[in-house]
Amino acid sequence: MYSEQIRGAWFGIHFFLLTAVCSAGVFWLIAEGSTILPSTCDEYARKAELGATWCLGKQAAASNLVRRCIATYLHAAGIQAGYSFFAPNIPSQHRLTLELLHADGRIEYELPHVRSKAAALRLDTLLDKLAEERYEPVREVLVKMLAFSVWREHADVKKIRATFDSVSSPDMNQFEQGKGETFQPMFSFDFSVSDAQK
Amino acid sequence: MQSAVKSPGSQSTAGLSLVERSWQQLVAFLFPPETDTWLAVLRIGLGLQVVVYALFLRSDWHYLLASSGKGLVGREVGEAITSFDSPLIPTLGWLVAIGRNFNISEEAVLSVTWVFLLSAGCLLLLGLFCRPAAIVAWFVHLCAAESGGLLAYGADSLMTTALFYLMLSPLPDRYSFDHWVAKTKPKNPRALGFWRRVLQVHLCFVYFIGGLAKCLGNGWWDGSNLWRSLIRPPFTAVPPDVLIRFRYVLPLLGILICVLEVSYPIFIWIKKTRFTWLVCILAMHAAIGFLMGLYLFALVMIVMNIAAFGVVSNTTTPQAAAESGAQ
Repeated sequence: MYSEQIRGAWFGIHFFLLTAVCSAGVFWLIAEGSTILPSTCDEYARKAELGATWCLGKQAAASNLVRRCIATYLHAAGIQAGYSFFAPNIPSQHRLTLELLHADGRIEYELPHVRSKAAALRLDTLLDKLAEERYEPVREVLVKMLAFSVWREHADVKKIRATFDSVSSPDMNQFEQGKGETFQPMFSFDFSVSDAQK
Repeated sequence: MQSAVKSPGSQSTAGLSLVERSWQQLVAFLFPPETDTWLAVLRIGLGLQVVVYALFLRSDWHYLLASSGKGLVGREVGEAITSFDSPLIPTLGWLVAIGRNFNISEEAVLSVTWVFLLSAGCLLLLGLFCRPAAIVAWFVHLCAAESGGLLAYGADSLMTTALFYLMLSPLPDRYSFDHWVAKTKPKNPRALGFWRRVLQVHLCFVYFIGGLAKCLGNGWWDGSNLWRSLIRPPFTAVPPDVLIRFRYVLPLLGILICVLEVSYPIFIWIKKTRFTWLVCILAMHAAIGFLMGLYLFALVMIVMNIAAFGVVSNTTTPQAAAESGAQ
């Protein structure tokens, strides 16, 4: 009976935290204006999101023990993120093109690559994350590392220009008219040999 | 004959009995006596999931999880982001640091963790050392998912959750080698029922939130999201020319997905509709696996659904009834 009380209490806490995580995710989508709801909802959604994240201790300082314990538990249980997969709409796709300038003046184009299909899916996930605003502070570092992963296979390359594009797929009508994907450059970085050695 | 006017005392007694009744209903909901068949399904399914995960990533394991300068982006960035959330979250960096103390190279530690993960998956499949295997599978997968957090997607967090529940569930089940070899005692049916309930309620959250978020996007109502998701590389298993032929079906399918997901927490509990909802959800995940190439995501969702709602609850076995009565 005693163990049932403990289990019952854990059930309540666990699903309370999951509710807070999921609500924060949905309210964030509304607050960002990426849903079909009217923009008047945005402000309320932002407040509701703050309320939900408060329950998760995210308003406390990063060093706060309660916040850290909650975060550790959420990660351990795999419930740190909500379940709004492919929602509210399918996110744009992204592409990182590396322009390799060889010592002899040759120019080659490469994409970051992996061996397996399963890893390719993960690489695409990374590229989609790079486009997000919250990854802006680490964007250059990550692009540099991706460029460096290709650089290792081309020792004579002097310089790399990494261009990050947002890829827009055609809709059904555009596809029938023969229109293909369109690329919208988002940002680019230049890396030289000295950058790679840092 | 009952008095028409109740005294304050009788009202409070009635109120108390209502609270008591609600409490009893809640306890009955949380702790229904169950057999361990669902747990065997979860264990075998997750064993298969872990084996497939390890084998799929075999050729890229080091490349994805090595430190800076050796791998794709280096483990450190993902680990730094994770440690900003909390430094207590386990990562592969912990294991590499332990290995360094014993003069074991990073490469060797990564190889050993991969072997541990694959072995844990195989042991879960067989039902040998169930509990330790579930703990190792959960821990190593969590470390890999956190270290490669930038490369992680939905399947990883669902896999962590499923392994977390498996690790806490009353293992071993009676279909496992452990039970056969060690002749372990049957587990408490109410504890088995509780952990199945946890899995069931969790799935209701997953689908309700997923369905709600989809309902809020206009692209799911006109089929354009389905079109975009199916022509989006690397998920292009169906050529767009073939999809165009089904252009009038896509809006219907999009709406069906929204309805199916958002109403899952209602219709999956009703006996009459459970089978239909379960079959539709399983078909949706099978389609996601085959048409979009999201095999790991599809597999973990199929396993969780079958374990939670697909296995017929058989609490009328003499053993379960006796155990339930003994509690």
